[in-house]
Amino acid sequence: MSVGKKTPIQPALHKVIMVGSGGVGKSALTLQFMYDEFVEDYEPTKADSYRKKVVLDGEEVQIDILDTAGQEDYAAIRDNYFRSGEGFLCVFSITDDESFQATQEFREQILRVKNDDHIPFLLVGNKADLADKRRVTFEDAKQRSDQWNVPYVETSAKTRANVDKAFFDLARKISSRKYRSEAQEESSPKKSSCCIIL
Amino acid sequence: MATIRHSLQKEVFDISEEKLIGILNVTKPGKKKKKISFLCAAINKEKPVCAFIHQIKENDKGSLKKKNTWPVFELQVVDGKDENKETAEFDLTFDRVYKWVASSVPEKNSFIQVLWKICCRYLPKQKPQFINISRELLKEDGDKIEGGDIIAPGLDQADTEDESDFCALSEREQIDLERLILKSDSAVSDAEAFAEQLSKDLTMLDGANIHSMMASESQVKALMEMIDAALLEADKIEKRLNNYDEILLYVKDSIEKMAEKNFFIEQTNANNRQLLETVNQLITQLEFPQEYEKFLTNPAFQINNLTPVIEAAKALETVIDAQIPPHLIHLQLHFQAVKDQKKRFERLRSEFSKHLARNLNNLFIYHGNDPGESLSFHAEKLALPRHSNIHNELMPYAPLMHWMRNLDPKAFQKLRQTYSNSMSKLYERDIKIFFDEAKQPIAGGKRLRGSGSSQDIAGMSGVAGKLTSLSHSRTGVGAALLGIEREQWGGELDASERQKFDQIFEQVLSELEPVCLAEQEFCISFFNLLSSSEPKGANTSTASTPGSNTSEESGSNTPSDSSRRHPLKQVSREVRLMMSELFTNLEQQLTSFVNTFYRADSYCCLYIYVRLSEHVLSAEDTGSFLSITFGSCLIQAKRNYDNFMGLQINSIKECRVTKKKCGIIPFVTNFELFAQTGESVFKKSERRGDLDKWYAMLVSCMIDNIPRVAIEHQRTPPEVVKMENYHVLYQLLSQLKLPGLENQRKEAKQRYQEALNAYVTQYFGRPLEKLNLFFDGVQAKVASGVKESEIGYQLAFSKQELRKVIKEYPGKEVKKGLEQLYKKVEKHLSEEGNLLQVVWRAMQEEFIQQYKNTEDLIHRCYPGAMITLDFSIEDILNYFSDIALSH
Ligand SMILES: Nc1nc2c(ncn2[C@@H]2O[C@H](COP(=O)(O)OP(=O)(O)O)[C@@H](O)[C@H]2O)c(=O)[nH]1
Ligand SMILES: [Mg+2]
Repeated sequence: MSVGKKTPIQPALHKVIMVGSGGVGKSALTLQFMYDEFVEDYEPTKADSYRKKVVLDGEEVQIDILDTAGQEDYAAIRDNYFRSGEGFLCVFSITDDESFQATQEFREQILRVKNDDHIPFLLVGNKADLADKRRVTFEDAKQRSDQWNVPYVETSAKTRANVDKAFFDLARKISSRKYRSEAQEESSPKKSSCCIIL
Repeated sequence: MATIRHSLQKEVFDISEEKLIGILNVTKPGKKKKKISFLCAAINKEKPVCAFIHQIKENDKGSLKKKNTWPVFELQVVDGKDENKETAEFDLTFDRVYKWVASSVPEKNSFIQVLWKICCRYLPKQKPQFINISRELLKEDGDKIEGGDIIAPGLDQADTEDESDFCALSEREQIDLERLILKSDSAVSDAEAFAEQLSKDLTMLDGANIHSMMASESQVKALMEMIDAALLEADKIEKRLNNYDEILLYVKDSIEKMAEKNFFIEQTNANNRQLLETVNQLITQLEFPQEYEKFLTNPAFQINNLTPVIEAAKALETVIDAQIPPHLIHLQLHFQAVKDQKKRFERLRSEFSKHLARNLNNLFIYHGNDPGESLSFHAEKLALPRHSNIHNELMPYAPLMHWMRNLDPKAFQKLRQTYSNSMSKLYERDIKIFFDEAKQPIAGGKRLRGSGSSQDIAGMSGVAGKLTSLSHSRTGVGAALLGIEREQWGGELDASERQKFDQIFEQVLSELEPVCLAEQEFCISFFNLLSSSEPKGANTSTASTPGSNTSEESGSNTPSDSSRRHPLKQVSREVRLMMSELFTNLEQQLTSFVNTFYRADSYCCLYIYVRLSEHVLSAEDTGSFLSITFGSCLIQAKRNYDNFMGLQINSIKECRVTKKKCGIIPFVTNFELFAQTGESVFKKSERRGDLDKWYAMLVSCMIDNIPRVAIEHQRTPPEVVKMENYHVLYQLLSQLKLPGLENQRKEAKQRYQEALNAYVTQYFGRPLEKLNLFFDGVQAKVASGVKESEIGYQLAFSKQELRKVIKEYPGKEVKKGLEQLYKKVEKHLSEEGNLLQVVWRAMQEEFIQQYKNTEDLIHRCYPGAMITLDFSIEDILNYFSDIALSH
């Protein structure tokens, strides 16, 4: 009997970090994405991690999500988990200008820690369902995202609008970036092995 | 009053020929219970006129009766009691005093008036005394007598009729008398002459009277003669009538005799007619046309030529089953003709029965040997061959089979046995091939049967290989159990193979149904299995009446008729018995099929249980052979299912993790796929509850066994094992949203958080261990009552000691300690656990918090000593950043 074929090939793993001020809906977005549910009063945890298998463009991948409170006393505490992230959903609430302003600082810290201007990153304007309480215009947000050269997406964790899109778009970016770098990595050892043969 | 007067007159006084004149409603004075009675004044209608006073009472029955009667001449005193005052009381004195109370004063008065009048009229001389009565009443009356105006009506009438020769003169007589007296001038002067004149006149009148009387005598005589003549005539007529009477008496006698005779004749006639009818009936009942005989003695059983044979057989059945009325049974024994006829029938019956039995027997064996359509022709799709062709060919013989059942039960049973035997062979073969075939497609389309060489290869790689190779190791390593690493599972089926198996199993079940049902319906119709009585000895008089047979047969010719389906609901024991004789290996094959797959891949038992339940629950006829077979298989399937779940539970309890890093325990990891499989199988099943029940048990078992595994693991700290596993379990339950597991989900979450806190606090202190110990001591002192400001004077906690400890932790050391801690945490935590960032984040915060507490304690316990830790928060944050950037 053949046992070997049983070993499942581990699917690619993409690590996503939720960042943004407290109360903008990071947990709500995560839970909606994970469990298809909207929790009105989810007790704010300092941090929790999630893992979900999804099929991304026909390929099964795992998405790891680190959802944090984003209210640490010292920004440096974030360094470590920012460092571990492969892509970021930088969330603000369109009903809260302060949360929009805060994205600037998060962006800078991520760039500094990751030391990578092309790190997969989405600017997410959440609570899009609360149109009558909007404080941040789409244009302002869009302008900022353009300036950062990242996509901007408006979501609603309540109606699930664009929730999957946000996560999938980010995962797709992470995936394609990995593929590119893998290709780069692979190209060099090939040459070296060639050399050895020669 | 008038009505009473009327009824009194009628009821009482008419009888005694009296005339009621006065009436008074009275009671006896002083009596509480007032008994009303009537005082009546009456005079008799005969002469001499006598007046009476009666007391009349109503007796119990409501009729009026005289109670007392007093002649008026005995009346001595009429006492009005008081002549001035009005009172209803009065007394009448006859032999003694009678006291009365009238119903009213005026009535009393008018009654007294009547009495007065009566007395005046009939007892002018010896009138009783009227005392205490208003003069007026009596005087007035006197006037009235003289005036003759107002008299009681009764009395007035009585006057005109009866007074003539007795009482005072009437008015007219008075006038006549006066006139008479006036005529004779001398009347007044010469009374004597007047009297003489009168007597002369009288004599004259007498003479005239006698004269006329004499004249009528002759007429009387003539009348008498006529009467005599009439009497004679009457005598004659009577004599003649007597004559007639005598004659009539004779006639009456003879008529009576004739009637009797007539009755007897009629009865005899009726009896004869009845006898004739009965005999006729007997004859028609036992009439068996000669031309039928040849069909029975030399029958031809060609299928297209059966009709006359069936007709003849039915005719024979009819005459044999003929209902001989019970009172004729003894007759039948005496009638030679009947006996002969019966003998003939019996001969025909046994002869035909033999022919028929032989023929059907051959037919059954022939069909049983029929190779039938081989399964290989069905290669495209798994199918159990139908035998409707055999049924169709046999069906025309059904009436004959019914005939047999009724008239030759022994032969019938034998035939049925033959049928069962030969058909069961057929089915046995079909079913075996069918099930063998059913096992094949799961091996990815590879067929086992075929050329010898490929068989081995297929046997090793295909499912069939799994089926055999795993049959021995259900419980050992290699089984797909929660508590065993997935890599170590055996060759259980993969998801698509399970899907395929499910499909095939469904196909197997739904193929069996129509075949079994068709056979069952055929048997019922053909062998008449639902007929009310089990086959009995022939010739019993209780056999079904002719006619009902025909209707039943006509129904049985169309077994697919929907109305036929209904009685199938209560398939009898006989039917089941026959079916079990026909499908001898069905249950065994089905069970073996089920068990084979269960052994190959225990997960199959989920599919089997659900599918089989579906079929059993949807079965229309729960008592049918197939339902019962499915039912007992279902019991086996349920047993397998429970056993499967039990094994899962056991595997959780026995699970051991031997890897260096514990990570996620197999049963937690495996539960995801397990639950997904369960969900997909039980999605809409009515057995859903059976799954949920086990879910709860499995999850609770996991929650209970995580700490056990945690403690048993050698290298990974138990907190980490618990934290990681409860976390994954919690996430899993959140994602699966299994019903009824909310409590377990919450518990998993809580235990995860407890483990996280325990781990973080247990390890964060490591980098500054001595410092921590020192301040733990300080805190203990403070807690035991030492003032904070005096801590510095304690020997063990003096400033020098503090400085010594602090010196051991220069910034560089701290940084190294933190780096080591991070590495340790990294080593403890598993990749699958995915908690490194969560834990490290918590540890950073905890560390900073601890730093602040220490600073605070130094500040409070060693104020002004200018002692600080060798590193600042900024330093710590930098260390953190450096650690972050270093990987
Ligand atoms: N209407 C609306 N409310 C939201 C939405 N997302 C989050 N919230 C609410 O905003 C509050 C904060 O959300 P939470 O996810 O805890 O924010 P976090 O601190 O960023 O994790 C909660 O009461 C949520 O119910 C959204 O898209 N629409
Ligand atoms: Mg949150």
